[in-house]
Amino acid sequence: MLKVINLSKDFKTEDNTINAVSNVSFEVGDGVFSTIIGKSGSGKSTLLSLLGALDNPSSGNIMVDDQEISKMSDQQLIKYRRDKIGFVFQNYNLIPNLSALENVMIPMEFAGVKLSTRKDRASKLLSQVGITNDKQERKPGRLSGGEQQRVAIARALANKPKLILADEPTGNLDSATGKIIIDLLKKLSKSENTTIIAVTHDEGIAATADSTFKLKDGKLIK
Amino acid sequence: MGVVQRGVKNAFRNGVRSLSVIFILAISVSMALVMLTALKAVSEKINNIKSSVGNIITVTLAGMRGFEGGGTLLNNEDADAIKSMDHVRNVLAILNARLTTIGTESPGFGRNENSNLNAQTSLSAPPIQQKSETSGSTSNRHFVINGQEVTGRNFSMPITVVGLNNLSNLSALNASSYSVSSGVEFDPATNENIAMLGKDLASQNNIFADGTFTAYGQTITVSGIFDAGNVFANASIVMPIKTLQNLSGEAEQINSLIVTADSIDSLPAVQNAIKDKLGENVDVTNSEQSSQNAISPLENIKTISFYSLIGSLVAGAIIIFLTMVMIVRERRREIGVLKAIGSSNIGIMTMFTVESLVLTITSSILGIVAGVLFSNPVLKILISSSESAPTNNFSAEKLGQGMGRFGQGAGQMMARFGGGIENARNSLQNLHAIIGWDIILYGLGAAVIIAIAGSAVSSFVIVKIRPAEVMRQE
Repeated sequence: MLKVINLSKDFKTEDNTINAVSNVSFEVGDGVFSTIIGKSGSGKSTLLSLLGALDNPSSGNIMVDDQEISKMSDQQLIKYRRDKIGFVFQNYNLIPNLSALENVMIPMEFAGVKLSTRKDRASKLLSQVGITNDKQERKPGRLSGGEQQRVAIARALANKPKLILADEPTGNLDSATGKIIIDLLKKLSKSENTTIIAVTHDEGIAATADSTFKLKDGKLIK
Repeated sequence: MGVVQRGVKNAFRNGVRSLSVIFILAISVSMALVMLTALKAVSEKINNIKSSVGNIITVTLAGMRGFEGGGTLLNNEDADAIKSMDHVRNVLAILNARLTTIGTESPGFGRNENSNLNAQTSLSAPPIQQKSETSGSTSNRHFVINGQEVTGRNFSMPITVVGLNNLSNLSALNASSYSVSSGVEFDPATNENIAMLGKDLASQNNIFADGTFTAYGQTITVSGIFDAGNVFANASIVMPIKTLQNLSGEAEQINSLIVTADSIDSLPAVQNAIKDKLGENVDVTNSEQSSQNAISPLENIKTISFYSLIGSLVAGAIIIFLTMVMIVRERRREIGVLKAIGSSNIGIMTMFTVESLVLTITSSILGIVAGVLFSNPVLKILISSSESAPTNNFSAEKLGQGMGRFGQGAGQMMARFGGGIENARNSLQNLHAIIGWDIILYGLGAAVIIAIAGSAVSSFVIVKIRPAEVMRQE
């Protein structure tokens, strides 16, 4: 489903060039829960940005469902991010003045889904990730960290994406809540047949994944 | 929830800040509205004054002062030629004559001393105020005429007769307006022996409407009694000009013309055209300078209003511009997230533009309410501060009336000019700012333009934000 071929990303400064991601290649199948591990500055988040088409690679190709991302126009990239990708961020990045339900409805609004349909689906997704009806109308500020991350996962699932990219999804959570979130992601990868790639520096989480890629200085070493 | 609803909701995301912005912006909008209203009111008033005050050209015989001097009389053909000129709205033809009471001594001065324009009448002039401290000599009495002390022989005061082709303007008798207290106006185009008497003259002679008197040896019917508000006019007779021309034997002849131009701006062109037509035989004067003096305070208000309006609009645009830039900078991460989850740049820009519109339109509504409340008080302040500049403390109209007794032409001029200044000054006091729907629509339109302009730069920032920045800030 996801095929990364000789992917590189360089950042040029005044004095030199930093190879954030260097000649990385790997493949991940449908419904697989994978992790990318590595130390801080190893290029994990940069790789995730490239996979999510948030940034352009310096060289190499990313193929999703046999489509080459690097050849897509801006409009196609917007559509790709909207329809094929779901993002889960370490800081949740929910819109603070919208309720949990409204946050989950936003990606469906961008996709042109009818209001009644998106409301029903958002409610179901929130229930699926464990946000009960009484909390669905709450704004993020009135939810715990774990609950906010659950809302973020529901938002990532809104448009039934093929790929969910999670950047340190448990980074701001205690270990018990973190385990619950990882279990939820693993469960969803199977039930929704969605490929999940989670960036983490937690070896324990990586050990439970279907596959793990280890980055060091921008290079894949495992 | 759509992009518009989200924009509306975002506008009140930070209540304290939103209210502060709305309050400050409302002050700017109300200021702009007040200034726009003042500008409109003053501009209309200036145009009104230009087309109604000071747009008068007086054509008199060259060298004529009152009943003295001057060459050949003008005639109906001259009046018709002037009436057909460009920018001429109206031509008032005037023929002056004076009557003395049958059996009394004529005053014996003036260009008409030996002409048919000097004749006798059965009427007697109203008595003038006699000074209490007289010399005791009947042949050398002291009189006070309109406040001026004069000494003269024991003469009978002459009665002025004015022949007019138009009753809409009684400035020939130093009156800006008049009312018919009894009877009716005559048709100014007729040549019948008919006249209107000033109320003092009618009272002195115990004559009422439909009564008669004798002049030029003929019986004249009184169609009505008028009150023009001044002693000179109320002691006079008004006749159709053709009647006076027939009675006096001065067929087709005219003493002077009062030409009304369509605007003060047309005065020089009309004046030159009249001079070209009538040559050196006439003095052609206008009241442009007087009216310019009257308009001057209004021009000051107009200038202040215009620059204040521009300043208010610029201030409003800067306020909303800075607010939107601040909001966009604060929400960089949110914008990045929205892009990451599939929003287009246009969708996000629309959301921020709606937010900007909500702030400005809310401010405009408050500003309009404030503008309605404060436009007239502010206009009064502007008037009071501008009024102190050019003032004429003397009453030119009264002076004109006084002069009218002895030097009718000069008196008429002074009265007309003075009346114009007085009218302009009164119109300044009566200036009212009216906020109509057009002004409100202008205000809302300006708010929309300010909102779009204010969000234009922030939109540029939005386009530049790359979603990858969100990831790197983790």
